[in-house]
Amino acid sequence: MERKSPLFSIFIHACALLLAVVILAPLVWLFVMSISPAADLTAKPLSWWPQTVDFSRYAVLLSSVENSAGAAFVASLINSIVVAGVATLAALALAIPAAWAVSRTPSVGWSLYMVIATYMLPPVALAVPLYFGLSHLGLLNNVFGLALVYLTILAPFTTWLMKSGFDSIPREIEAAAMIDGAGLFATWRIITLPLAAPVMATSALFAFLLAWDEFFYALLFTSDLRAKTLTVAIADLAGGRVSDYGLIATAGVLAALPPVVIGLVMQRALISGLTSGGVKG
Amino acid sequence: MSALEIQNVRKTYGAVETLKGIDISLESGEFLVLLGSSGCGKSTLLNIIAGLAEASGGDVRIGGRSVLGVHPKDRDIAMVFQSYALYPNLSVHRNIGFGLEMRKVPTAEREKAVQETAKLLQIEALLDRKPSQLSGGQRQRVAIGRALVRKPQVFLFDEPLSNLDAKLRMETRTELKRLHQMLGTTIVYVTHDQIEAMTLATRIAVMRNGRIEQLGTPEEVYNRPATLYVAGFVGSPPMNVLSAVVGDDGLRLDGSGQVIALPGHLKGVVAAGRCVKIGVRPEALRLAAEPGGQPALQVEVEVVELTGPELVVTGRVGGQRVTACLPPRTWLEAGVALSFTFDEDAMHLFDAETEQALR
Repeated sequence: MERKSPLFSIFIHACALLLAVVILAPLVWLFVMSISPAADLTAKPLSWWPQTVDFSRYAVLLSSVENSAGAAFVASLINSIVVAGVATLAALALAIPAAWAVSRTPSVGWSLYMVIATYMLPPVALAVPLYFGLSHLGLLNNVFGLALVYLTILAPFTTWLMKSGFDSIPREIEAAAMIDGAGLFATWRIITLPLAAPVMATSALFAFLLAWDEFFYALLFTSDLRAKTLTVAIADLAGGRVSDYGLIATAGVLAALPPVVIGLVMQRALISGLTSGGVKG
Repeated sequence: MSALEIQNVRKTYGAVETLKGIDISLESGEFLVLLGSSGCGKSTLLNIIAGLAEASGGDVRIGGRSVLGVHPKDRDIAMVFQSYALYPNLSVHRNIGFGLEMRKVPTAEREKAVQETAKLLQIEALLDRKPSQLSGGQRQRVAIGRALVRKPQVFLFDEPLSNLDAKLRMETRTELKRLHQMLGTTIVYVTHDQIEAMTLATRIAVMRNGRIEQLGTPEEVYNRPATLYVAGFVGSPPMNVLSAVVGDDGLRLDGSGQVIALPGHLKGVVAAGRCVKIGVRPEALRLAAEPGGQPALQVEVEVVELTGPELVVTGRVGGQRVTACLPPRTWLEAGVALSFTFDEDAMHLFDAETEQALR
């Protein structure tokens, strides 16, 4: 390690701090807003720190009283979890075999490029055909219908991501397993998939986030509590004649929690480097 | 019955023919080395034997049974890869026992086999580690152990030593030789290193452009190279090759006009006027004490290098380069003109066009 001057050291830390502030400031402000009394948020000049701490909005949003804002919010939260979860699982189930096939058979790589090409289309171009399609299947305003739509976005994305993951696992390892007597599925179960776990976890996380944050299709294809997702529900909160900014902020904080929890749970799997040592690096 | 028979095996990729009809028959217990530079088709041939690639034509028989279209796991082979290809997520113990595990060998029997193999390779202390916690040499041993434990009919090695450093490579080479002598297994071994080929093989197949140039014992390949390519590939430094024309009085070297008498065993083989290549191994050259009956080369010395065990002298005969390996205590310096002699038997003659040996 080369020697560093103290000044350089300070500079490095200042840069890191600046980055942290830039990333975290909106989140902190979101949380502060969610616990500030309504008066503080509309005051001029704006008071950056609440006089009294007010957690009542969390109670409002998480209440289960029928026909309340809380019931609508909780329903949309559950819808979002179901839609994003189902779409992610389905995307993984499709992408793992597809990505492996493309990775091990370069001659069919063109098919993946074609799928990726559809990815370049703006969502609005597909909105009308998708709407008719869902309507025909009777899946409008249905969480599974929405998950199906999300699958069309997530499957190419996860396949692409996982193909590069499989590419980094040497084919020789699978050839060795084959000679050792393992069938395709045994090879997958014991060798390939454990080695691909980090990239599978990364794909799953990103796919989940993509589905979780999606707004446009959700707005078009859902209409009530049965299928509305969080992003639409939050938009609804802002859409009334009187907007409670604090309530919107609270919804934002709550909406951010599930992905954070999933990220923490997957942290272990996300640690890569499991493949080192099998072949000479 | 041969352990392994390769009959007229061909492989084409599109319009490119990488194997152009290979025939090899291997007895049980033989150590065959496929030797050649990269792109000669030796690895392709090994993959075809392993079943990792399909031949475009011909037949491969293991233990008398044709294995074309047979899955690698059912061919009764084991393979050691250049990159070792250990399973990084499994312990050394499970790596070695994997083949038996997949073949549903009972746990007790498997355990015994793994322990025996580990003892043989002196890796008992490493059984609980993961491959990433091993050094290159240890990984190599595990890879060999994974192949040994199953006691297959044929072992395939794909350049197994090329990732090791020089010292370890020599040690492992000796170790492999010891294992082969001890276990009497049938081995097909791919390498581009002629020293490995010479030391390990019972037979060497020198390959070039998808063909076998020569198939023979190391001694034959070294002492009686069938083609100019084999002569240049085996041996270090490589064999000296001098262009010459057959004259009435002997071989007239191009460039210098020196004449070397045609050795007795080559008389009558070549007619006057024929263009030939003369091959003489550097280690066959000696400093001439006095002009005598033996063939001699007049050389202008350009570079003298002491490697330790020998003195490597590079010089010119006319325009043609000549290298000689002399005893280290020889006193020589660059710039002098010398006369080298060699035994008649040490001279090889090749046709200048076909590059085939003339005998």
